[in-house]
Amino acid sequence: MTAGVADVAGKGMTRPGKAKFGPVAWLRWIWRQLTSMRTALVLLFLLALASIPGSVLPQEGIDPAAVAQYYTAHPALAPVLAKLSGFDVFGAPWFAAIYILLFTSLAGCVLPRAYRLAKSSRQPPPKAPRHLGRLPQSTDFPAAGPADEALAAATRMLRARRFRLRTGDGWVSAEKGYLHEVGNLLFHLALLGLLASIALGGLFGYKANKLLVAGEGFANTPTALDVFHPGRLVTASDLQPFSITMTKFTASYITSGSQRGQPANFNASLSYTAQPGGPVGHYDLQVNHPLNVDGVQVFLIGHGYAPTFKVTDGTGRVVLDQPVPFIPVEEAGLSSDGVIKVPDAKPQALGFSGEFLPTAYETITGSVGSEFPAANLPRVVLVGYEGNLQLNNGQPQSVYSLNTSQMRRIDYPIKMLAPGQSIVLPHGLGKLTFTGYRQWASLAITYDPGQLPALFSALAALAGLILSFLVRRRRIFVRVSENGNGTVVQLGGLTRSDAAGGFEVEFAELTGEFKRRLGSAAGSSAPAKSAVDETSKDGADEVALAQSKGE
Amino acid sequence: MPSPALDQLSNAGLVSAILLYGFAMLAYALDFLYSRRKFESPATAAQAREKRPAAVLVGAGSGTADAGLAADEADRNFGADPADASAQLADLSAPPGGSGSDVVGLTKWPQGAWLRTAFVLTCLGLVVHIATITTRGLAEQRVPWGNMYEFLSAITCAAVLILTLASIKFRAYYMGLFVLLPVVVTLGIDEAVIYTPEGAVAPALNSYWIAIHVTGMIIAIGMYIFGAVTTVLYLLADRHERRVAAGQESGLAGIMAQLPGAAKLDQLAYRAILFAFPAWTFAVIAGAIWADHAWGRYWGWDPKETWSFITWLVYAAFLHARATAGWRGRRAAYVQLLGFACLMFNLVGVNLWISGLHSYANM
Repeated sequence: MTAGVADVAGKGMTRPGKAKFGPVAWLRWIWRQLTSMRTALVLLFLLALASIPGSVLPQEGIDPAAVAQYYTAHPALAPVLAKLSGFDVFGAPWFAAIYILLFTSLAGCVLPRAYRLAKSSRQPPPKAPRHLGRLPQSTDFPAAGPADEALAAATRMLRARRFRLRTGDGWVSAEKGYLHEVGNLLFHLALLGLLASIALGGLFGYKANKLLVAGEGFANTPTALDVFHPGRLVTASDLQPFSITMTKFTASYITSGSQRGQPANFNASLSYTAQPGGPVGHYDLQVNHPLNVDGVQVFLIGHGYAPTFKVTDGTGRVVLDQPVPFIPVEEAGLSSDGVIKVPDAKPQALGFSGEFLPTAYETITGSVGSEFPAANLPRVVLVGYEGNLQLNNGQPQSVYSLNTSQMRRIDYPIKMLAPGQSIVLPHGLGKLTFTGYRQWASLAITYDPGQLPALFSALAALAGLILSFLVRRRRIFVRVSENGNGTVVQLGGLTRSDAAGGFEVEFAELTGEFKRRLGSAAGSSAPAKSAVDETSKDGADEVALAQSKGE
Repeated sequence: MPSPALDQLSNAGLVSAILLYGFAMLAYALDFLYSRRKFESPATAAQAREKRPAAVLVGAGSGTADAGLAADEADRNFGADPADASAQLADLSAPPGGSGSDVVGLTKWPQGAWLRTAFVLTCLGLVVHIATITTRGLAEQRVPWGNMYEFLSAITCAAVLILTLASIKFRAYYMGLFVLLPVVVTLGIDEAVIYTPEGAVAPALNSYWIAIHVTGMIIAIGMYIFGAVTTVLYLLADRHERRVAAGQESGLAGIMAQLPGAAKLDQLAYRAILFAFPAWTFAVIAGAIWADHAWGRYWGWDPKETWSFITWLVYAAFLHARATAGWRGRRAAYVQLLGFACLMFNLVGVNLWISGLHSYANM
């Protein structure tokens, strides 16, 4: 995608006529259009434009809860947006269409250029043009010695500067800076590599979430995971067979100053095995420090409290004795909401919904809250229900919400419970004891085989970019001739890719060095002349390049 | 432990830096007012060549006389500064009309009392600014770009650093006033409105990747700011030159006499983006690696990520546009400014209006 390619496409702009153009010509025309720079530009803009809704609308893959909220807030608009993939912009067919076209355009432009570069790198530089004065950079000055000595000096100098050389009768032409095009091509090819890497991850990778209470463990199977998003070609048997137990979770918070209550550190102590029966490893999982098991990465992405309860039903049987994860509803004090479902209780199934307060306070008006996120004064407040929990009515139900439509409120005085305290339920329904609390951590589990290729592609793209911006491809021509007064040296220079500028400085340096090499006799040098002005410069470029092509 | 004394010192430092930048701006403006014109505008030169009567020249005095003066001054500078002789030689041996002759008539070090004062004040301001950021970092014992207040201070510092380097490297002393203006305004708002007391960062930000990712972003943004300011000047210069060429009143002749003409400004802006774009690419890659460490995916279309992608695309479009017939010049310049608008939206708009994983900017 350079000016050169655009020019080629520009020449092909003439639309195929009626009679003499068959389908092949049409295809060629379409292909030229697609691989032209203008099309690439339009596609770049389109891709940028198409990304915007993805940042404005809530996205299914990022925040499903926000999407649900959007449905409630805009009941008329949401289904329309959903039809247009508005909540999954980056997976939308129209988004894919744009980037596939862009990458096709890129490939169609870059691959022929790579071929041309390979070809030109085996060819010597073109002959020196007859009139060096027409080049963008040129100078001439008399030299003391004979002409062939001056030419030899020029050849030595250019060779020492590692130019590729071609010599002829009274002239040398030199070319350098092929790495410019190499860098440019590397950048564009690396982008294709990046796309392939992303596709690899999308096909063979997976993402999962697991909420894990301290002291508990799980095996990496779809049923044990809370949320599981497999790649298109991933089946349950492809999951790496590790298992993880969280032995302990600690969280520390800033205890004083203006940032009191802000988290300072989280640490989840894990023990894990890569295969069943394998050796047990230990790892302190922290934010920014993921665990790597068998190529799968495990991250700490959240935490909270799971108060533990013991429920004895009306018949005196212990029907529940376990930690129940509560979900934090605010950051400052980490007050958390949760529900307890006891479907096996007799004579009635029981349900409780309530709040866990890590450092509880109660105002004189009776409202309660938590003033610090650490569990300094843990309390729970629970409201009890009896009746039908509707767990078996066929509808999936969240473990974090209670459907009380077929339940009755159990009448007892609501108050904060300290660990060890109980609520004795009236009417012989049983007893609930708040036995203590544990902490939970939520883990993100990701496997992405495209990750390393993506990293290498990105770094290659960066390297190519820097290379193409730093290196300029340039040609230097020297002609020597003898007239009546002695030897005259002509120097000309030309660059096609001088992105960052500075070729004129290099040319001046080169001229200076050449004069030094020729000795003081050339001291009476004429200042460089400006044969061409700004406007006719491109024309001069074309002349020189046309000459070089005409070899 | 964070140290309040160091933090206070750091605040005093930022106010001093703002004042120094302000005085530098004043000196740059005085240089524009009182120094002789530094550049011969291509348009006036063309008119001068046509030997039109001086009275017809629109607000530009006598072009011929000024051209003579400029050459005169260059000679004088050449003689006055032997240390620079070789650079001058290189400059003078380049063809004056060539695209790269941005150095002709300009010297490596600033000439004239006001310009020298302005540049020294800018450098002093920069030193104080860097010291301010350093002491804030020491006070907090972390990399001092953890919130919006610190981030704005850092990107303006980067912009001034780029200005200083470009002034020396590309003799772009004429950019001083125009780059310092947005810097001073931003720093003023930063200190007066957004100020955040020192403190620790959230665990999510507690990684050495903040030093890599955010530093890359800061340097890239500094260069993008320089590029955008130069491009605005380019558009003004281009408008001026076209108007003068058409024999119309432009109203900008006074300021344009201090600027090197549209073609040079365009090239300077392009250079800024040539450095900024790889820096931005690097910063985005570093951010992706960090995101992978912290959140378990290297790219997740978080709003900040999406907008840095959009910014990348638009600047990539600019680089391509500049190499495409029909897009060079003004259209490419508008594309670059569009990219800058996306960048600014990412810095400000995304923080204010869209919530996402990067929402710890504390605004």
